[in-house]
Amino acid sequence: MKRVARPVFFVVALLIAALVITTFTGVYSQYGDRTDTHIKGVGDIRFGIDIRGGVEATFGPADKNMDATDKQMEAIKDVIAQRLILNGVTDYELYTDLANDQVIVRYPWASHETEFDAASAIQELGQTARLEFHIGSETKDKTDDKGEVIKDENGNTTKVPSGKLVLTGDDVQSAEAQSYQDDKGQIVYVVSLELKESGRKAFADATKQQNGKGTISIWLDDQMISNPNVNAHITDGKAVIEGGFETMADAADLANLITSGALPFDIEVTNSGSISPTMGETALEAMVIAGIIAFALIAVYMIIRYRLPGVVAVIALAGQVAGALACISGYFTFFEGLTLTIPGIAGIILSIGMGVDANTITAERIKEEIRAGRTIDGAVDRGTKASFSAIFDGNVTVIIVAIVLMGVFGSSTSLWAKLLSWALYFFPVATTGSVYSFGFTLLVGIIWNFIMGVWLSRMMLKSLCRFKALRKPFLLGGERV
Amino acid sequence: MKKNFDFVGFRKISLIISLSLFALCIVLSLVMGVEMDISFKGGTLAKYSYTGTLEEGAVTDFIESKLGKDDVIVDLTTSGGKTIISISKTDVLSPEDQEALTEALKAQYPNNKIVAEQVNAVQPSMGRSFFAKCLLAVGLAALFLILYVAYRFRKIGGFSAGLMAVFALVNDLAFAYLAFIIFQIPLNDNFVAVMLTILGYSLNDTIVIFDRIRENRAKMSKEPIHDVVNLSLNQSLGRAISTSLSTIVAMTCVAVVAAVMNLDSIISFAIPMLFGLVSGSYTSLFLCPPVWSLWMEKKAKKGNK
Repeated sequence: MKRVARPVFFVVALLIAALVITTFTGVYSQYGDRTDTHIKGVGDIRFGIDIRGGVEATFGPADKNMDATDKQMEAIKDVIAQRLILNGVTDYELYTDLANDQVIVRYPWASHETEFDAASAIQELGQTARLEFHIGSETKDKTDDKGEVIKDENGNTTKVPSGKLVLTGDDVQSAEAQSYQDDKGQIVYVVSLELKESGRKAFADATKQQNGKGTISIWLDDQMISNPNVNAHITDGKAVIEGGFETMADAADLANLITSGALPFDIEVTNSGSISPTMGETALEAMVIAGIIAFALIAVYMIIRYRLPGVVAVIALAGQVAGALACISGYFTFFEGLTLTIPGIAGIILSIGMGVDANTITAERIKEEIRAGRTIDGAVDRGTKASFSAIFDGNVTVIIVAIVLMGVFGSSTSLWAKLLSWALYFFPVATTGSVYSFGFTLLVGIIWNFIMGVWLSRMMLKSLCRFKALRKPFLLGGERV
Repeated sequence: MKKNFDFVGFRKISLIISLSLFALCIVLSLVMGVEMDISFKGGTLAKYSYTGTLEEGAVTDFIESKLGKDDVIVDLTTSGGKTIISISKTDVLSPEDQEALTEALKAQYPNNKIVAEQVNAVQPSMGRSFFAKCLLAVGLAALFLILYVAYRFRKIGGFSAGLMAVFALVNDLAFAYLAFIIFQIPLNDNFVAVMLTILGYSLNDTIVIFDRIRENRAKMSKEPIHDVVNLSLNQSLGRAISTSLSTIVAMTCVAVVAAVMNLDSIISFAIPMLFGLVSGSYTSLFLCPPVWSLWMEKKAKKGNK
């Protein structure tokens, strides 16, 4: 039997302690005002919207018979991404389900958010935002492709501009919200536009034509938002939309919509969900308490029943949990962290229960060998060898389940979904990410179990057995002499 | 000398318990009704928190006047320390309609601080596809697991072991399903997560025992399978108790804390999981190996004819 040196136990235990501590605290350095994060701690864990509160929505084409091209879906995704960023949301999940022409977006409320109005946020994200400038403001009834007037269920028709089209949103280079004081001393909010090369001539011609004689109407998604009189011939490609914006925020919203661009076609919301932050906070607290109690109870049981191997098991378990949390928080920089949801936390707690199994099987085996009369070294040696196959097979089954969970409930771009795509392609992508989190934490827990509960546990146990004071059969499960 | 428990002798009783379990599942499903959560059947579920007191009848009438009388259900409940108006509707409310509803409620009850806590709307067609996908996931996982078991235990008749394991798994899933029915928890994606986890856990348990059977079989190739299985089970008893205790304690902590703090979403996950864990431990000891030994004995008899 390969002898493991005495100090090994302390080295390993210290390394595990270091991992546990740094996982919880992270490693930061402070230069005056600035805090640099070298290693992320649990405080950096990104929590899912079921904990933090947030918004999720699935968009699909409004015209259900339409078959959108992949390029169009990607364009929609990009526009929505732009809109999120312009609204200050950087922590979002956004992916397309090309097989089903869906775009799925999910983001948490910003920590400074006070108005949790998910419905209007979703509406804003899904707005087509088709900007058009027309000569004059005459309208006609909207007709379909065949030229027939479209009437809705109440017999009403939609009015669309009948004047010549001058500019569209594509001709706009940039849009910005601004304010100025008018002659009455009132503050007026406007959106000022700068047009691209392509649009300047058209706009110059239109303003020349309408100068002093008429208006140029501005439309957003079949709604007229402004109809100013033209009193100058504008050649520098700068235009201003003065549309009765009540606040700077209103003007900024429109400016953002124009900047992010129009969607290629109308989309509608097929699924939506929103959660306010407070509902999630209590849940998080509860789970953390549950986890701590569970760990404590299991630790006490293990030490009482298995004595020395029990102590090793508890250290290994602590290491396993820390390792799993580290993977979740993004401690290991090559590994992107996980968005942790409530089922994800349940996965961590469950993997504690399952993880302890590796140590239990080994401890039971050693106990058997001791009671069969073997020497300490013999018992430990045979016990660890004999138990490996059972632990391996058991852990692999949980890994298989975790992979299936991640593939089925994750986004279409995840590694596991691609692996299972031959089976899953008929089906729409899951719109809630909470179960994916569960699969991930299970997987990560079991992998760390192999490292901590199997490899390092064995090293620690064998090392401890080198100490004369600890070489008592009783401590390894033998009868009390 | 430890007394050996005759697990294998228990097998007829185990089988009877199994069949009663399946029967119970079917009966209770019909009697108590299976409810599917909106993630599978589609529809809208909106939860608004409020302060002060509200009268359920008046609130219901108001909401019905806004949303139409058909298929709208309004409940006043408590959850997570707050008083909640819970509104469910079978079809989807668009964000515009959601906003209108929120504004209307706020206008009608200005003193009750109505806040939209949680709103979920799912298209029924998407819900159905999602349900199908979940069933597929369970099927896939089961398939992979059987293949893995068949391969690893080929020396002791892997395929029969795989099938027996599946039989045990179906028992466990049925028992967890029973939890959903008895506690009237709507089936949602947590249901699928629970099912898959129990698949993994129960199989884990079963494999550890079959590993011991495999080892003993190699050592005791002349002995009747009946004795080999019994011995293996008795040897594994200590570990089985420890691990079951650990996982059950872990989940119980979650369930108890969730129950105390009135967190429905966690309870709907933890209690069925507990049922499944208990069942998993039971089937790995009392059902799967003993029934497997019965199969092997029958096979051996056929072989000797």
